[in-house]
Amino acid sequence: MSSNRELTMSSYVGIGVGLMLIVGIEVMLTYRHLSPGTLLFSLLSLASLEGFIAIMYLMHVKYERPILFWTIFPATLFVLGFLCYLFPDAFRMYSMRLLK
Amino acid sequence: MEKTFASARRAKTLFWGEIMAETSAHGAAHHAPPQGFISKYILSVDHKVIGIQYTILSLVAAFVGMALSWAMRIHLAWPDVHIPLLGMLAPNGAPGGQMTPEYYLSLMTMHGTIMAFFVLTAAPFAGFGNFMLPIQVGAADMAFPRLNRASFWVTFVGFLLACATFVIPDGPPLSGWTAYAPLSAVGAVAGPGQGWGQNLWGLSVAVFCIASLLGALNFIVTVLDLRTKGMKLSRLPLSTWGWFIDAWVSLLAFAVLLPTCLLLVLDRLGGTSFFIPGGLVFNDQLQPHSGGSPLLFQHLFWFFGHPEVYIIILPAFGIVSHILPTFIRKPLVGGWKVITFSEIGVGTLSFVVWGHHMFVSGMSPYMAMVFSVPTLFITIPSVIAVLVWVFSLYGSNIRFDTPMLFSLGFISLFISGGIGGFFLAQPSTDSYLHATTFVVGHFHFTMGLSAIFATFAGFYYWFSKMFGRMMNEKLGKWHFWLSFVGVYCVFMTMHLTGFAGAVRRYSAFVDDFMIPLIPANRFISVAALLLGATQFVFLYNAIWSFFKGPKAPDNPWGATTLEWDTTSPPPFDNFGGRQMIVHHGPMEYDGEASVMQTSAEASVAGT
Amino acid sequence: MNQPELTITPSAVVITPGHEVLMEASPYGVDKKKLGMWIFIVSDACTFGAFLFAYGYMRIGTPVWGTPFGFSSIVNGMVMTAVLLSSSLTMLAAVRASQSRAKASANKWLGVTMFLGTVFAALHLREWFKLIGEGWRLFYNPTGGAPQFGATFFSVTGLHLTHVVTGVIALAIIARGYTQGRYDESHVETAGLYWHFVDLVWMFVFPLMYLMNAH
Repeated sequence: MSSNRELTMSSYVGIGVGLMLIVGIEVMLTYRHLSPGTLLFSLLSLASLEGFIAIMYLMHVKYERPILFWTIFPATLFVLGFLCYLFPDAFRMYSMRLLK
Repeated sequence: MEKTFASARRAKTLFWGEIMAETSAHGAAHHAPPQGFISKYILSVDHKVIGIQYTILSLVAAFVGMALSWAMRIHLAWPDVHIPLLGMLAPNGAPGGQMTPEYYLSLMTMHGTIMAFFVLTAAPFAGFGNFMLPIQVGAADMAFPRLNRASFWVTFVGFLLACATFVIPDGPPLSGWTAYAPLSAVGAVAGPGQGWGQNLWGLSVAVFCIASLLGALNFIVTVLDLRTKGMKLSRLPLSTWGWFIDAWVSLLAFAVLLPTCLLLVLDRLGGTSFFIPGGLVFNDQLQPHSGGSPLLFQHLFWFFGHPEVYIIILPAFGIVSHILPTFIRKPLVGGWKVITFSEIGVGTLSFVVWGHHMFVSGMSPYMAMVFSVPTLFITIPSVIAVLVWVFSLYGSNIRFDTPMLFSLGFISLFISGGIGGFFLAQPSTDSYLHATTFVVGHFHFTMGLSAIFATFAGFYYWFSKMFGRMMNEKLGKWHFWLSFVGVYCVFMTMHLTGFAGAVRRYSAFVDDFMIPLIPANRFISVAALLLGATQFVFLYNAIWSFFKGPKAPDNPWGATTLEWDTTSPPPFDNFGGRQMIVHHGPMEYDGEASVMQTSAEASVAGT
Repeated sequence: MNQPELTITPSAVVITPGHEVLMEASPYGVDKKKLGMWIFIVSDACTFGAFLFAYGYMRIGTPVWGTPFGFSSIVNGMVMTAVLLSSSLTMLAAVRASQSRAKASANKWLGVTMFLGTVFAALHLREWFKLIGEGWRLFYNPTGGAPQFGATFFSVTGLHLTHVVTGVIALAIIARGYTQGRYDESHVETAGLYWHFVDLVWMFVFPLMYLMNAH
């Protein structure tokens, strides 16, 4: 059976603090007058980093067998990745719409 | 009746009371045999009962869906005919028995919805999968039996909601099973059935999504965690592989349909404009929505919609791959790997081709190319699978029992339908063929008929195991031949009328160029009605055999997988308290000889 | 069927009382409930993903979206993030306690997690009511920007809120069963996975729905 005891509770608290720091960075970036595209990219990258840390440590995947990692990540990222095919039509909607 | 494979077996009698239902393996479901009618047959958690419940649900849904198609075809061939029954059931939609054009679309919408969801997704996957999968992997039940019961009853509620659209005064929605926005999103102003009809439809589909997601979850965990000793993944029966891969595709696809339905409901009831553009006028009324994108609906719907057709066909691939070795008495060419990896390829690629439904929708033409190429690529694993089946037939001594006939029929129908796909996969030819009856013929062949023939194959194959009695072979063969000829008459002709330009979803032939097609359409309608009548042969066979068919032995077909190593029907815990240990793969056939998966004897075939 | 007559293959062995059923080991090495929860999480992640993609599509396609959230909304969002993150840590504490068989401690931490989840929901609803009071609706944007703002904001955060509330209720059920001995540490761990997932979704919802819409 797996357990969440590979790390001490204080390590987990440290991870939590780290995640909160990342949130702080995200908020800081928001107020730095970046272009929306840059801000979006930075926020998504930081959020993905947070998510990765949460999954590996808080949800314990780092200490599970690798096959669990290789099952959940490819499947989810596959769906989310190909949903990106929607975006060319979003840009067309922006440039071709009648009511601006 | 086939001779059962005679191996050296010790006969031993076991009694129920002496079987300990309490087992303590890491994954085995342990529950005592149920008592009482409600626990045994209505609210059962037993996967076998649930499988039968799903099968009965899909049978009822199939006849409802067929009846809808008969009404449609009668109207198309003889528009002036009054259908009294219809007039009684739908006084608004068919006053005096004369179908209005809107009601034609409503019937078409519910035909598609009921068939695609409650028949094609339910029967081969949930019906047979629930009954057979735990037995085939050697488990006592599914991983989560109560979740399984919930899945069925939620599906049942979904079906009731779909049927409810017929009894409300406004009738069923008329936006097609695809429910494109903005027609489906603006509400009652769009036409009859677009008020509460569409709401109920959306609710029915959302409910079905949830049931499917839970079912898929159950299948996946059962295959991964509940296999008996010796049942390595390489020894899984091919039908189990089909259900397993299908469960993954189901899980990911239905997960995206759910938000699509929710957003549609929000547009309808919440006043949002996800899918409704500005400046829309319906029936002289300017709609108060703006800023939405109908294309977004199509993208989200078809992101689910295309994997859905593979969700429908993958269990059929699995069932046919499972049945074929039994009746050709040799393993499939390439063993389990080629066919399984083809199915994985098909399932994976199915997620990246959805735009081929949208070539003429106003989608970016560059995306059209991006979708067209993988659509052509996806034929490769499909063709590999077909070639495996066809090459396996070569040089074998085929036993033409009914399950085999339907499996061969499946192969034929899938090839015929698949060839039509080449024309639809490319934007150039698709811009002509889109929304013609060519498409209708194509998807009925590949999705509807193939899956139905595979379902029939499974039904004739497993009926004895499920109910303990054999179905009648003669009636089965009549059913097959009449259906086989019938489906070609109906749907191949549709390919031809489609080439000639016959538009789908039209309730009448008013354009000049379509007038010459009326005789062809009459032919299709007559054939369709005869085809429908043929299905009563099957129904009669099934019901009569259930009550009066000859008692079935444990292994009438001489097959090798675990379901044939137990009684017909199986006992409550599937194996009568025995520890099943698997020594062989599922395709140990060599002519008359075969070795059951649980047999300790040496292999006869290369697998 | 009463008493079936069974023929058995020679290799099969009869399961006698107390005899453990032999099975193939799970390739994942985890309890089936946990595997089931992971599979559910994959599908739920795709559901949230589709919602967020619809939001992204709408936003890209709309010339004037508007960024109505003032600093107080962002601060509120940060507090909510901190609350949810802490609840993840307390959930972890509960799981660890249950794995050490410290039932009382586990129950305590489960209770704290439920409390923090409720605080999150309360903060969220307070913010919703404030926005609704300012005139925001699913279909109306009082600042004059895109009406889709309300639609996407309320639907995405609403779906997340539903998951939080469901999670709190589920934790209550698990805690009750755990106290009564019907559930063990594997149930607590499985519920913990769901709770962490809810937090994980918020890690994406907060930047996309709040920070991208800040002044």
